[in-house]
Amino acid sequence: MFVGRRMKRDLVTVPKEATLEEAGRLLKAHRIHHLPVVEGDRLVGIVTDTDLRNATLGWAIGGSDAGDSGRPQTVGEIMTRDVVTLAPGDTIDDAMLVLSRERFGALPVMDGGRLVGIMTKADILAALLETLDIEGVGVRLEVILPRDMGEVTRLASVLQELPVDVRSLVLAPHGPGRYAAFVRVATIDVPGVRSLLRGKGFAVAELSDFYEPG
Amino acid sequence: MAHDGTRAGGGAAPLPDRDILEGFDRLIAANRLMGAERNPTVLKKSGKGAPFLVRKHPSHHRMLAIWKDLFASPGSPEELLTLLSPEVHGFTHGDGLLLFGRDRLLYDCQILRRGEAVGHLTLDLYRERDRVVPFLPFPTRPGRRVVYIEGITLTAQSTGYASALFLRYERLFHDLGFHLFRLKASLSVGKYYWAKEGFDCSDRARFQEMRDRLWALVQRLGLPVAEQEVRRLTHMSDVAAFRRDLKVPVWRDAEGYYTFEPDEAHPEEFLFPLGKAFLLCSDPWDGHKVIYTDTPRRTALVWSEAYLSHGTPAGHPEGPKRLTALMDTIRREGLLSSLIVMEPYTPAMEALHAVHDPAYLEAFREAVARGDRYFATRDCAIGAGSYQAALLAAGGVMAGIDAVFSGRSDNAFCAVRPPGHHAGRASAMGFCFVNNVAVGAAYARSAYGVARVLILDWDVHHGNGTQDLFEQDPETLVINLHEHPSFCYPGTGRRMDRGKGAGLGATLNVPLSPHAGDREVIDAFEREVVPAVDAFRPELILLSAGFDAHRDDPIADLECTEAAYVHMTRSVLELADRHCGGRVVSVMEGGYRIESFVASAIAHIRTLQGREEMPCS
Repeated sequence: MFVGRRMKRDLVTVPKEATLEEAGRLLKAHRIHHLPVVEGDRLVGIVTDTDLRNATLGWAIGGSDAGDSGRPQTVGEIMTRDVVTLAPGDTIDDAMLVLSRERFGALPVMDGGRLVGIMTKADILAALLETLDIEGVGVRLEVILPRDMGEVTRLASVLQELPVDVRSLVLAPHGPGRYAAFVRVATIDVPGVRSLLRGKGFAVAELSDFYEPG
Repeated sequence: MAHDGTRAGGGAAPLPDRDILEGFDRLIAANRLMGAERNPTVLKKSGKGAPFLVRKHPSHHRMLAIWKDLFASPGSPEELLTLLSPEVHGFTHGDGLLLFGRDRLLYDCQILRRGEAVGHLTLDLYRERDRVVPFLPFPTRPGRRVVYIEGITLTAQSTGYASALFLRYERLFHDLGFHLFRLKASLSVGKYYWAKEGFDCSDRARFQEMRDRLWALVQRLGLPVAEQEVRRLTHMSDVAAFRRDLKVPVWRDAEGYYTFEPDEAHPEEFLFPLGKAFLLCSDPWDGHKVIYTDTPRRTALVWSEAYLSHGTPAGHPEGPKRLTALMDTIRREGLLSSLIVMEPYTPAMEALHAVHDPAYLEAFREAVARGDRYFATRDCAIGAGSYQAALLAAGGVMAGIDAVFSGRSDNAFCAVRPPGHHAGRASAMGFCFVNNVAVGAAYARSAYGVARVLILDWDVHHGNGTQDLFEQDPETLVINLHEHPSFCYPGTGRRMDRGKGAGLGATLNVPLSPHAGDREVIDAFEREVVPAVDAFRPELILLSAGFDAHRDDPIADLECTEAAYVHMTRSVLELADRHCGGRVVSVMEGGYRIESFVASAIAHIRTLQGREEMPCS
């Protein structure tokens, strides 16, 4: 999964000379939180709704003595200049790691020197939803397996025999020495699948294993 | 007998045996109580011969036993005679007699006008015996209380007397605890008259045969009638009122019998409306009319044997057993006599195309015809009868809608299968092929001009098919109560799904946490569903009534009992009373543990009838 396939290409950008009001209007009109700042097609910075809020609030709270002269006027004055960017060839994993570690909300995507797109947290979530097929028809089953690919293979072959459509299958570590396999199946007869898997010796978690009512 | 016209049967304190026996003696002394059996040789058609053979009355002990078996709250014999002979439209009863047979009571009298005998009336009051074990003649237990109209003859016709009398009788026998009127509609005018009075043909095969003959007649005469119009006739009263705008010639003989072909015996020509002409020329039929005992609301039950022909393989949760078990229990608990049983009909394809893609339905038909084991997904197992059953299930909802709009019933329960709420415009899934409630909503719009329709779905699974079909429609409010999609099939129906485009706000999803029970479900219902419905003001309420949120149901994780269904049903009826004249058409969806499914459905049906008692657990 590469960033180039998932990024947003229809960019909303702002010139460095734009006023804060203009930038604020753009954010509101497009319901977005980040504006790459450009000079021509060259990326010079990024400004977020938080930058805008801090600039205006900061001035109102701390800078009233200075009069209007101290108030930032243009985007260029408040933008972040050393922007962390991605390339279309970077992976979604890269993007997730950067976003998570740096606590950023969005990363511009540069192809050579040219700005070609932007990748936001929302795009990552959409990719995750699609990968797990959460919006499609199906129910999730949790199968706890020993950390042994032989068992995983056996599970796959049992799933192959099942008269149901498997929508997604995710294998995750589950404590020491174990995997949790999240199987999303498209059948209304979940108890039937569950008992079939149990009949084959698999540990299928019950809801009560995860859920504490009240 | 204590009939005051307002009290329901069984409410009054029963009279002590001694008083009843003294009443018998006084009537015997006055020659107004005798023993009798029906005369098997009497000719009904001509009315000639005595209708019964008088003999000595049975023992007092026997008479008392019959008396107490017949009446929900036994009263005095003299009072019964008085109640049975009211003065109506200037007509009175003379020589009124009570006659005790071996197991029944007869009432016989002359009908008088201004002291002159102008007719004759015989009623036969008896108690049916139900078999405890099907197919075995014994043992039996007391069944429905029946009034058999042996005969009513009047020389003066079209006086409106019989009509007015039976209106009184219906009230009276209701209060006495009777369940059914029965009769043989054999006289010329009677065949039409009884149908018009709401008597239905008891033999359903016979009724369908009559409907086929009506369709043949329409074709023979080249009348401008669509086949759908004939198909949707489900009751004799429909036939009697059918196409009053079309006049058809019939010929009458000297005795007053009619035929469609003139001959020497039938010289007199008349022009009658189609339905009336058809019934006048029909053969005699056995009819019955339900007396609505103890049910404040009249509830129709739509079902057909054909629903069993959607066969699924052994072990499949959605099998015919669900419906046979439900119908068995309905019969065993004596509910059938208080329900207006109606046949579904196969809808015209246009009615289905309002909801489904024609190519999709065709693919379904072909899959069944080819003998495929399933259609679209493995969940959707099919057998030879599946296509017809699925069409008939949608037609069942249409018949239920006909019943509430024609006023024949206040509400309806459609015991249909296969279920429908997962089926989309061109998709079968989750045991569903045709979206029954959606076809019903479209039909209510086209046939009855309804605008705002509420579809309330309390099946434990989200009705994704129904939601998809109506999410852009502001006139159809789709409310779903279901187990949360992260835990339960089909994984849709999140709270944030509220409709699309013009339909934004006309979709309401109320997902419930796993293990939610009666309290949580009822709370959510009162807090979210009731205000939404009040704001929407529906003109018709369709229920997708699944019973798989029950704690014993294996297919999901909610923990409701029958009490939740009783509560929600009552609440729905109150909403329907506020907004749409009580019109609720409830359509069976899921429910897979036979015992809990049947108990919940029965509790739901009893509540639809307006019964107050809680279901037995």
